[in-house]
Amino acid sequence: MWKISRSVVVRALALATTLSLAPQSAAALPTDPGPNGKDLKVVQLPLRSDAPKTIDPGRGSTTYDNRACSMVYDTLLQYSYLKRDPFVLEPALLTKMPTPSEDGLTWSFELKPGVVFQDNECFPGGKGRELVSEDVFYSWKRQADDRTKAKSWWLYKDTIVGFDAFREEQNAAEKAGTGFNYDAPVAGMKVIDDHHFQVVLTEPVYRFIWLLAMFQTSVVPREAVEHYGTRFSRNPVGTGPYMLDEWTDLGMSFVRNPTYREEYFPTDLQDGDEEIVADLSKGKRLPIIDRVEYTFYKKDQPMWLRFEEGTLGYTQVPAENYETAFNRRTKKLNSSYKRRGIVSADVPLLDFIFRQFNMQDELLGGYTPEKIALRKAIILATDFDEFNSSFYNDKNIVYDGMIPPGLDGHPNNEEHRAGPEYRGKNIALAKEYLAKAGYPNGAGLPAINYYVANSANSPEQADLTMRQLGEIGIELNVRMMDFSSLIEACDNKKAQFFSFAWSSDYPDAENNLALFYGPNQSPGSNHANYENEEFDRLYEQTRSMQPSDERTEIYLRMRDMVLDHAAFAGSMARTRSYLIQPWLRNFKPTEQFYNWVKYLDVEESLRE
Amino acid sequence: MKPKFLRSRGAKKFFRSRIATFSLVVIGIYAMIGSAVLFFDVISVDDTLQRVGPDSTPMFGEQSLEKRLRDVDFQLARLDTALNKKPEDVEPAIAELALAERTISTKPREELSAEIERAWVSYDTLAEQKDEVEFEAFDAKKAELKESGVEDREEIQRIAGNAADASVAELVASEEFVSSLAQLEQIVDDLYAPLTGWSAKLYDLRRSMGTDRQGRSIAIRAIFSIKIALQIGVVTALLSVIFGSLLGAAGAFYGGWIDHLVVWLYSTFSSIPSLIFLIVISYRFIGTEFESSLFPVYVAFCLTFWIGPCRIVRGEVLKIKELEYVQAATAVGFGKFYILLKHVVPNTMHLMFINFSLLFIGAIKSEVILSFLGLGVKNQPSWGIMIRDSAPEVVNGFFPQLGAATVFMFILVISFNILSDALQDAFDPKHVS
Amino acid sequence: MWNYIVRRLLYNIPVYLGIILLLMALLRVGAADPAYTFLGKNAEPGDLERIRQQLGLDKPFLVQYFHFLWDVLTLNFEQESWGRPGRTVGEMLSTAYIPTLMITVPGLMITATISICVALISAFNRGRFADRILMVAAVVGMSVSFLVYIIVGQYYGAFQLKEWVGTEVFAIEGFDMEKNGFISGWLTYCALPVIISVIVAMGYDTRFYRAVMVEESTKDYMVTAKAKGAGRRKVMFVHMLKNAMIPIITRIMTTLPFLIVGSVLLEYYFNIPGMGNRLLGAIADKDFPVIQTFTAIFAVVFILSNILTDVLYALVDPRVRLQ
Repeated sequence: MWKISRSVVVRALALATTLSLAPQSAAALPTDPGPNGKDLKVVQLPLRSDAPKTIDPGRGSTTYDNRACSMVYDTLLQYSYLKRDPFVLEPALLTKMPTPSEDGLTWSFELKPGVVFQDNECFPGGKGRELVSEDVFYSWKRQADDRTKAKSWWLYKDTIVGFDAFREEQNAAEKAGTGFNYDAPVAGMKVIDDHHFQVVLTEPVYRFIWLLAMFQTSVVPREAVEHYGTRFSRNPVGTGPYMLDEWTDLGMSFVRNPTYREEYFPTDLQDGDEEIVADLSKGKRLPIIDRVEYTFYKKDQPMWLRFEEGTLGYTQVPAENYETAFNRRTKKLNSSYKRRGIVSADVPLLDFIFRQFNMQDELLGGYTPEKIALRKAIILATDFDEFNSSFYNDKNIVYDGMIPPGLDGHPNNEEHRAGPEYRGKNIALAKEYLAKAGYPNGAGLPAINYYVANSANSPEQADLTMRQLGEIGIELNVRMMDFSSLIEACDNKKAQFFSFAWSSDYPDAENNLALFYGPNQSPGSNHANYENEEFDRLYEQTRSMQPSDERTEIYLRMRDMVLDHAAFAGSMARTRSYLIQPWLRNFKPTEQFYNWVKYLDVEESLRE
Repeated sequence: MKPKFLRSRGAKKFFRSRIATFSLVVIGIYAMIGSAVLFFDVISVDDTLQRVGPDSTPMFGEQSLEKRLRDVDFQLARLDTALNKKPEDVEPAIAELALAERTISTKPREELSAEIERAWVSYDTLAEQKDEVEFEAFDAKKAELKESGVEDREEIQRIAGNAADASVAELVASEEFVSSLAQLEQIVDDLYAPLTGWSAKLYDLRRSMGTDRQGRSIAIRAIFSIKIALQIGVVTALLSVIFGSLLGAAGAFYGGWIDHLVVWLYSTFSSIPSLIFLIVISYRFIGTEFESSLFPVYVAFCLTFWIGPCRIVRGEVLKIKELEYVQAATAVGFGKFYILLKHVVPNTMHLMFINFSLLFIGAIKSEVILSFLGLGVKNQPSWGIMIRDSAPEVVNGFFPQLGAATVFMFILVISFNILSDALQDAFDPKHVS
Repeated sequence: MWNYIVRRLLYNIPVYLGIILLLMALLRVGAADPAYTFLGKNAEPGDLERIRQQLGLDKPFLVQYFHFLWDVLTLNFEQESWGRPGRTVGEMLSTAYIPTLMITVPGLMITATISICVALISAFNRGRFADRILMVAAVVGMSVSFLVYIIVGQYYGAFQLKEWVGTEVFAIEGFDMEKNGFISGWLTYCALPVIISVIVAMGYDTRFYRAVMVEESTKDYMVTAKAKGAGRRKVMFVHMLKNAMIPIITRIMTTLPFLIVGSVLLEYYFNIPGMGNRLLGAIADKDFPVIQTFTAIFAVVFILSNILTDVLYALVDPRVRLQ
C-alpha cells in the first residue's frame, strides 16, 4: 500500500522537476557584456498592482501593457524625457518632427535610416531587418483588423482618409472568407520610399501628433506577427532599447538590445535636473542599463520591504507607509530616509477623478432647472477636500471642471475655486438647491444608486460619500462591483451615479473634453451621455485647432457649459509619491509615458 | 410535546456533559447579542463607521511615545483646520469632529485657538528636539567612524543610523520629554468636553479594544459582526440541513430514479472543490442587484453545504427503511409520504442537529475566507472583513483588530465544536469523525 | 474487478456531464456578461457584439457546452486564454501544477506522518492527561480561522524571523526556483506555506486518526492479542496500526485530488503561481477557458481517485466486495 502511493508521489515529483527545469534552460538568453566590457548593469524595478496582459502594442491598452511595450517597441515620436511642464514631443524613429502641409491635412514623415528590428527567428537567418515605411502602415492597419482584438481603434477613428472604409471592407472580406488584405490601399497612407511616407487626414486633427507617441502606434514587423500568430502577444519583436528575456507569473526581465538605434542621453537639462542626472550620463549612448528586472507586486507590503532593503530602485509610497516615510503635516521626508540618501519625488498625474451623473437617467438626468438643481445639490454636498485629506494625505489637487492641472484650460491655481455653485462643500446652498429641485431636506427623493469599482480603499471612500450626502438628506445605495461590471453598468446606461477616474491619454484637454462629446455616448467614453449641440460643435471646431489662447478660450467655454449643466461632481487629480534609492540615477518619475527606462543609470559605488 | 429526541437517552447524556451545557450557554449569549443588534438595532452600521479616536490605537498597555506624539499631532491638526474655516463653517466643522460621545469643548473659540497655538509651539519644540538629536548623533558618529578609517559606506550608514536611533530613544525616554508630552496630551484632552456617567462608560467601551486605521472602534465592529456571523450561520446551516436531509431521505426512501437523481446531484456538486465553487457562485452575483446584500453568500453556502447532510441522512434512511416498524407501517397501509415524514425523518433528527452544528462552523469560517477575497459580506463589518483589513496592519506590527476578530470568532466556533462533539458522543457514538 | 471499474466509469459519465453543465451554467446563465471585460475604454456600439463573437459567447449555451465537452474529450487544451492573450490553457496548466504540488505533496506527507504519531500517542494514553491536552489543542487549533494562521504565520515566519536572524529565511512571498537552486528555493518560498498548511490540517487529522485508533482498540483482535500476552506497546503499534491503515489510507486517498487545486488561499497570499492562484486570477479576469478547463481536469482526477480508492480498499480488505 505505502509503496504504491509513495512511488506515485515520487514519480509525480520527478516529472514535476524535469518539467520545471526544461523551460528554464530554454529561456536563458545569452546576455552580452556591457558596452565597455565591464560588469553588467542590472536594476530591479517594481510593477505595482498588476502585470501586463500582453506585449503586443496592437492589443494592449493598460498602463502595464504600456510599460512592457515601451521597453521593446519604438514609436515615431517620443516624449522629451526631461521636459515636463509642459510635455514636449521629439522625434524617435523619425529624423525630424513630421511636417504638415499648408492646410494641415497632409503630413510628411522621414524615418531614420538604419533602424533594425531585434534579431529574431521570425526573420530569414534570424537577423533583424531594417524598419521601413511599410512597417508603420502595417502596424496601424493591425488596429483595424478585428482578429487583432485591438482595444484602441478609437485613436484612429475618423482620422485618416479612407482608413475607416478600409477597416469595414477588410473585416467584411475576412468574414466572407476572402481574407483581410493588408496590402489593400488606403487613400490616406502613401508610401513614397522606404524612408519617406505621407499621411492624409480627414481634417487637420491636432491630437494626431500625440497619437504618434502612444505605445499603441508602435511599429511591429509583419514577419513576427505572421510567424507567432496569437503567441505574438508574448513574443515581442521591436526596435526598442530592450528585448524580452523572460516573462513569468511573478515578473519579467529585459536585456539590452545590442542593435538598438543610435540615441544619446539628452543634453538639454531643465531646472533641478542636475541633482538627478549622473555626470557621466550626459551624452551617453542609450540604453545605459544592461538588464532590467521587473517584479509584479499585487500587494504593496512586499514591494515596500524590497525597497527598504535596497533591492528595488524606486517605489511608490503605499498609503499605509506614507507616515513611515513622510511627516503627515509638513509632507517632508523623514530624517531616517534622508540619512540614507533616499530622494522623494512627487508626480502629479494628468488625472480627472469625478462622480458622474447619467444625464439620461429618469431621476438624476435631464436639463430642466429642477434636475440641474438636484445635481447641484449633490455636487455641493460632496467635499473633495475631505477625500483628499482622509485618503490622499492632502497631496492631491482639487479643482473645478474636467481639465486636469498642467493642461491648457485648467483653472489657475490662484483662482482655483470657480463660482460657489460649482463645487462643495456648501451645505446651506446644497439644501437650497435640493428644495428648489422639489425635495426639501431630501423628502420624497428615492435612494440613489451609486456605482463604485472595487479597489483598495473604495469601500471606505464610499462610506464617506454616503456620509457627506447624508448631511443634506440624500440617501445613497452603494453598489460596489469589479471594474468590468461597472463598465457594463455604464455602457448599458444603467448606472445612475458613479465614481470614475480618467487619466489623460495625451496631455491635451481635448482628451478629457471628449468625455462629454455627444457622439461618444455609451458605450463610448461619454458615460454621462451628455448631449449639447453647442458643446459638440465647439468640440469639433477645437479638434483641428493648434494650442492657442483662442483654443483655450473655447475650452473654458466648453468646460463651463458642462459645469452649468452640473453633469458631474468633481474634480481631483492625484499626486503620487515616489522614493528613489541614491544609486538609481537619472530617474525623473512620470506616469505619462514609460519609455524612460533606457535613460536610467545605476551608480554601483553607491549601491554596495 | 417535546420532540422524541429530547426524551431520548442521548439527550440525557448530552445534558450531563457540563462543558457541552457551558458551550450552549456561550452560544446563547452570542445569540442574545446578535438578536439585540439585529432586531433592536443596538449597534447600527453607522456606529461601526464612526471615528472614535486617532488611528491605530492599541488595545491595552502603553503606546510608544512616538505614536503618542503623532496622535497629538492628529488631534491638534484636525481641530486647527476646523477653526480656520470660514466663520460660518466653523460650527458645523467642529460638530463633525466629535469622536462618538466625545465632543469638542464649548469653550469660546478664541480660547481654543489660543490653546492650540500654545500646544503647537510645545509640539514643534519636541519634534525639533527629536530631529536635532537624531542628526547630531548621526553626524557625530559618522565623523567619528570616518576618522577611525572605516571605509565601507554601508557600514557607516548602519552604525551611525543605530547611534542616531539610540539617542532618539534616549531622548524620548527622558523624564523631561515624557512630562512635556504628558502636558501636551493634557491640553489635547482639555480641548474636549469632559465625559461623565453612561456616556463615559460607553466611550470607554468603544475605545476598549483600540481603533483601526480609520480610527473606528474595533470593539463595536467586532460586536456588530456577531450579528452577521449568526445571520449567515443560522440561515445557511438551517436551509442546507433541511434541504439536504429531505433530499437524502426522499432519495433513500423512495429509491428508484429519485435516488439515482439525488446521488447524481450530490456527486456532481461534490466533484467541484468547494472553495472554488463558493467563489464562482459569489462572483457571478457581482454586478447584479443582489450584490450588496448577503444573498450571494446565502446562495453560495447553501449550494455547497447541502451535500453533507444529504449524504449522511440518505445512508441513515437506507438503514431505517429496513427496520421493522417502518415495514410494519407500510404493511398497515400508511402512505409513503406519511411514513417518511412521521417515522423516518424524525429518526434522523439527531443527525440533522449534528450537521447543523458542523455547518454553522463551516459557514462562519467560509465567510471569513470569502470576505477576505472581497466576495463575502459587503457594506457592513464582519469578522472576515476585519481580518482582511488587519492584514496590512499586522505587517506593521499592529494586532488589535486581528486579535479582536479572532477571539470573538474563536469563542463562538469552539463552542460549536464542543457542541458538535457532545452531540455526536451522545447521539451517534459509533460515527467516526 | 475490471467489471466493477468499467461499471463505475460508466456510472460516472452522467456525473461528469453534470459537473461541466453546472459549471458552465453558473458562469453563463444570468450572470454579468464577460465581454465587457474585454472592451476598450472608448468602445463603439458594435464592439461588444464583435467580442462576443470572437469569444464564442454569441452561440447558444448548449452549443458552447458541447463544444467544450468535445475539447475535453479530445484533450484539446489549445484554447487561448482570454485573460492572458498569447497563452493557451494547456501552457498555463503545465506550468501551474508544479508549484502547487511542491506545496501540497510535502504538506500532505508531513501532516499525515505527524498527526498519525500524535494520534497514536493520544490513543495510547487514552483518557489520561496527555490525551486530553492533545485533544483540547486539536479543538482549539480547529477553531481559529485559516486566514489568521496565514497572516500571523507570514508575520512571524517571514517578517519577524528575518529581524531576529538577520537574514531572510523564508520569503515574504513569491516563487523562484532558479536563482539559488531547487533545494534552497523550496526552503525559501515553499517551506513556510507548507508549515502553515501542516499546522492548519493537524487538528482535523489528529482527531480523525485518534478516533480510528480508539475504535480499533475496542475490536476483538485487540482483546485476543492482549490475551495472548503481547505487550501493550506492541499491540498498539503493530497490531492496531496495521488494521487502522485502511481508514488512514482512505483518508489520504480522498485528499489526493485536492492536491491539484492546492491551497488556494496559501497560494494567493504567498503569491505562488500555482493552480489555485491561477484559478482565482482566472475567475477575477472572467477567463472562462481557464476556469472551465482547470475545473474539468480536477473533476476527472477526483472521479478517478474515488474509483481507485474503492478498488484499493477492496484489495486490502478482503471483506469488502465490489458490487
